[in-house]
Parts: sequence; C-alpha cells; structure tokens
Amino acid sequence: MARLRDEGVKTAAEMYARMALIRNFEQAAYRAYERNELEGTIHASIGQEAVAVGVAAALEEGDKMLSHHRGHGHALAKGVNPRRLMAELFGRADGVCGGKGGSMHVADVRCGFLGSLAVVGSSIPLAVGVALAARRAGEDAVCVVFFGDGGVNQGVLYEALNLAGIWKLGVVFVCENNAYAITTPAKKVTAGEGVLERAQAFGCGALRVDGQDVEEVAGATRTLVAEARAGQPALLECLTYRFLGHSRSDPPHGHYRTREELERWQGRDPLVVLAHNAGLDAEECVRLDAEARAQVHEAIEFARASPPPTPEELAKDVWGDE
Amino acid sequence: MSDTMFAQAIRCALEDAMAQDESIVLLGQDIAAGFPFGATRELAEVFGAERVRDTPISEAATMGCGIGAAMMGLRTVVEVDFAGFLLLGLDQLVNNAAKLRYMSGGQLRVPLVVRVGQGPFGAFAAQHSQAQHAWLASVPGLALAAPSDAQDAYTLLRWALRQSDPVVFAEDMRLYRTKGPLVREEGGQRGDGTPRARVLRPGRDATVLCFGFGAMLALSAAQVLATEGVELEIVDLRLLSPLDEQTIGESSRHTGRVLCLGEDPLLGGITATLAATVDRVAHGALVGRLGARHWPTPFGSSELLVYPSANSLAAAVRQLIAWPDVQQAPVANGDFQIANTP
Repeated sequence: MARLRDEGVKTAAEMYARMALIRNFEQAAYRAYERNELEGTIHASIGQEAVAVGVAAALEEGDKMLSHHRGHGHALAKGVNPRRLMAELFGRADGVCGGKGGSMHVADVRCGFLGSLAVVGSSIPLAVGVALAARRAGEDAVCVVFFGDGGVNQGVLYEALNLAGIWKLGVVFVCENNAYAITTPAKKVTAGEGVLERAQAFGCGALRVDGQDVEEVAGATRTLVAEARAGQPALLECLTYRFLGHSRSDPPHGHYRTREELERWQGRDPLVVLAHNAGLDAEECVRLDAEARAQVHEAIEFARASPPPTPEELAKDVWGDE
Repeated sequence: MSDTMFAQAIRCALEDAMAQDESIVLLGQDIAAGFPFGATRELAEVFGAERVRDTPISEAATMGCGIGAAMMGLRTVVEVDFAGFLLLGLDQLVNNAAKLRYMSGGQLRVPLVVRVGQGPFGAFAAQHSQAQHAWLASVPGLALAAPSDAQDAYTLLRWALRQSDPVVFAEDMRLYRTKGPLVREEGGQRGDGTPRARVLRPGRDATVLCFGFGAMLALSAAQVLATEGVELEIVDLRLLSPLDEQTIGESSRHTGRVLCLGEDPLLGGITATLAATVDRVAHGALVGRLGARHWPTPFGSSELLVYPSANSLAAAVRQLIAWPDVQQAPVANGDFQIANTP
C-alpha cells in the first residue's frame, strides 16, 4: 500500500527505505524506457540517492525544494507520491503535473517540491525568490536548490549567491558533484579549487561532504539549514557519482569513464554504506528493499492504467484561463 | 486638471496598486532612485526598501528571483530599463516564467510583471535601442502589453497587476516624457476581461493597426491625410498577446485597406503576424506593412532612418489607398519601405 501522506525520513531505517525506493523507482523507470513505454529521455539518479535523502532528511515541513533534470530522487525524497511521479514519467493524466511536464519537469507543490527545471542552473535564482517570499510572509522556511557540477559554471549561480547574500535569505545551495557534466569531467572545465571555495568568497557557510554517506549529508545539511534559517545562505557540495550514463545515449563506462572508476564508486553504494554504518541487519535491508520494490511495481501498474491527457487538458494552463 | 507624463502615469499605477495589494514587490536596478525615467521615483520612501528592492546588475538572477517569489504568493514587478538588457533575463522569462504554470499542470502560477523599455531613445545606439515585440508575443505563456499614452499605461499596468500569469509590459521609451490626461480610476477586480483594442480615431478609407508609440505616429499622420481627404481609422491594439482579433476584423472589413505598423523589422516582425491575422479575419482586405529597417539601430540621430515616422506612415497609407480595388484588379499585398530622411 503506497503511503498517501509522507511522514518524512529521520531514522536510519527510514533513510534506507527511501533510498531503496529511489533505487527501485529509477531502475523500473529505466526498464520501462527501454521497453519504449516511456517517451522522451530519462536521467536516472542511481548512485546519488544519499544526496537526495540526506538533504531531505534535514528539512522540516514547510521547507521548499527545487531541482534539475535528474530530479526523480529529489522528488521522492521530498515526499512526492511514487505512483503519481511514475504516471508523470509515463506522460499520463494522473501524473503530478497531469502528464504535461514529464521526467524533467516534475513539481508537487503540496510537498514543497516546487519543480525540476532542465536548463542547467536555471532553477537556482528561483530559490532566492522563494526565500524572499518566505521572509515577506514572516516564515523561517528555507529553500534548497540542487544543481550539478555542470551548473557550477553557469553565471547565474554566482548572481544568485550574491543576491541571497546581500539580502540574507534562507537558501541552501546544494551542488551534487557527480564529477561529469554528461561526458565532460568537472576538473577539466572548472578553474580554481571548486564551488565550495567560490561560495566562501560570497560569505556563504559552505561544507563539502561524502555524498555516498547519507548520514554525513544529513548532518551537514542540518548545520547549513540552521544557518539559512537565521538568514545566512549556505552551500553544500556533495561528492557523488552516477552509476548509469547521463541518459540512455551513453553507457555507464567505456566512453568517458573507466570500468575501474565506476566499480570503485559502486563499491561505495549509498545503501551499503548506510547499512554498514548504521548497523542495519541484512534481514531488515532485504525487507525494506522488497517493500520498495512492491511500491514501485504498484506505481508502474498505476501509471500504465492512467489515460493520457486529453487535448482539452493539454490546452489548459497556458495563460489566463482559470 | 493638468496632464501627466507617461512615466509618471506608470508610477501612479504602481503606487495605487501597491497601496491596495501588500503582496506587490518591485525589483530592479536603481529603482529606489527612480532612475532613469522616474517611473519608480519615491516609491521606496512610500513603501520601504523591503518592497522596492534595488538589485545588483544581475538581470538573470533578478528575473529568476521575481519568478520564484511570484510562485510563492508575492506579486513581483521586475524593471529592465533598456530592451538590450532583457536578453540577460530571457532564459528565466521564457523558460521559467512562461512555462511553469503549464509544466506543473496548473499547480504553479507566476504573477510577474516585467516592465521593459522598447524602441529607440536618446540616440543611445544599437544595444539600448531595439524592438522585441514579435519575439515576446511569440512565447506561449506570456501576455504582451504595449500602452500608447499616459492613461493607457495606467490602466493596462493596473490590469497587468491583477493577473495571475506573467505579463510583459513594453514601454516605448519615446513615450516616457509625453503627456496626456490621467484618471487614477479604481482598479477592477480579478477576472476583469482582457483589455480590448480601441478605435482611437474612426475613419472610412484605411485602417492602421498600431500600438505604443505607433499610435502617436498614426494620430499625427491621420491629421495630414485628413487634409487630403483621406480618413484614417486608427486601431490601437494595446495588447500584442493575446490579440483582439474581433476588433481587428471589424475595422479591417469596414475600411478594406489595412496598414500594419510595427517597430521591429519586417522579417519575422510583429507586422507579419498582424497581416496574416487580417487576411484570416477579414479575407479580401488589402494589407500593407510598415516596420523598421533590417538594421541594428545606428548611433545618434541616424536612428530616425530606421524606425517608422509619421511621414513614412502617411506615405505608406497613400500608396495603400492608390492600390486598385481587389474586385477590379487583384494585387499582391505589400510591404512599404521607410522613406525617412534624417
């Protein structure tokens, strides 16, 4: 039975369960894509689950999140219903966005998941505005915005760091550094030390963590969220790795990454790392995995059964119609 | 009552709307000082620096911030002084403001107003002076308003500030210092109908479809043409998206000869859309177009060579009138060259 209302993730078992949900969801979506059940393209976050879940675990109800083209994990971590998320990937009327957004444009406002945007870096300044609105409303909610190592060289990141800094707004900038922007190694295209040092130049509290360790991600995020609530924008850099290619068009290794490198990172699978560090016993992990698999199976069935949006629905929500 | 400058009418609309609606926040460069045209002068003193926020020179982040805040319940007005600078914010405007409502299946609304200067002004040359109406009108999810006088600037801006979706407010910079009567009427309620085009001057011989500064040119050309026995009907479109096709059709069928006047070049310009619209809603009417030369705006008073003037408009209308009637000898509809001299 899918959860109707998300209660958040705090304990190690809950974090494991949520990461397992993301893992299974991405695998199932990928298989559906390979069967041509999904159109468009798909960017799976397998390998990066600890970043999404660790960050979300540090947030309170009312905090907001913005994401990018590889956003399914963020959405699930923030509590988006997997059935409605899968239906969105299938482009169906019961998707969270009525099937009009698709894999790269997921939003579920009731969960505080305000949207995934596919132009690299373009969701970043929105977070500044979201935090400004929270301030005007007298709330201390923060807005987390994810971007990748590719987004690190978009100028709008630095405009946004500056704006959040001068206006002392509650934004937590999270760089999900998976080391490659499609095929381009981050080191090859990034001058200086990295985004952490750049953020420090804007007066941001900034931390760099092992993005495969969900507890470390959650701990660092809690520290930075507390700063952001007090009006100090902050940046978190999570060192992570995607276990699949950028999208279906590139293989996991062999083209721009070596098998050895991939296997080294696979040895730091975030689910295994958490199970080990938190002492979750194997039996419990198997049970949580099975629950996640069942939940995702149900999500796939739900998505398949949902109709595509009608032409009337597709014509709605352009401008001005109520 | 003395007349009010166009820029001051914009300021009045902002002031009256902000007094009624606490959620309105202004973002832009030098807006607390009201630089450069006075459209926001002293609003910071009235409403405070939290609501009238001077920004760094960061158009992309400012636009994005305005969008994010609007998504979450504020109503934001982003000011971009010159057309050329809008391009830095265009990713945010086109990819996010215009599409978020649609992409989210209606969950998100973006009540953003972008005030942006258009057209040539002050001999500032190619980057400050340009017209972008066709680009902006072609984006699904944006409305495009182009007021033509002080009262219309006030009325259309009050309307824009009641919408739940983004409106680009194109202010022809040549109008800022023009004066006209202004009544600061009560803002209507949400759900007011979309503003209709208006017939600024009734006529029988030909129609000019125009907007913004073009309406002023048309009024001036109409006076000259009247002395020659030509009665020009002037339709001020007010909005370029959505278009009031009903009013366009009525006037076009009434006169049978239609001149589409724009500030951008003919290739891909707004006049192409207007001409095609006339052909569809008033098939058989003769249609001509007058727009800018296909040049970047040159420095100095040479800019006058590029944009339509009252003289070139009057000349174009004379040619349109001289065309034989469709029933007698169908002719190809045509484009007119600007005959301006510096």
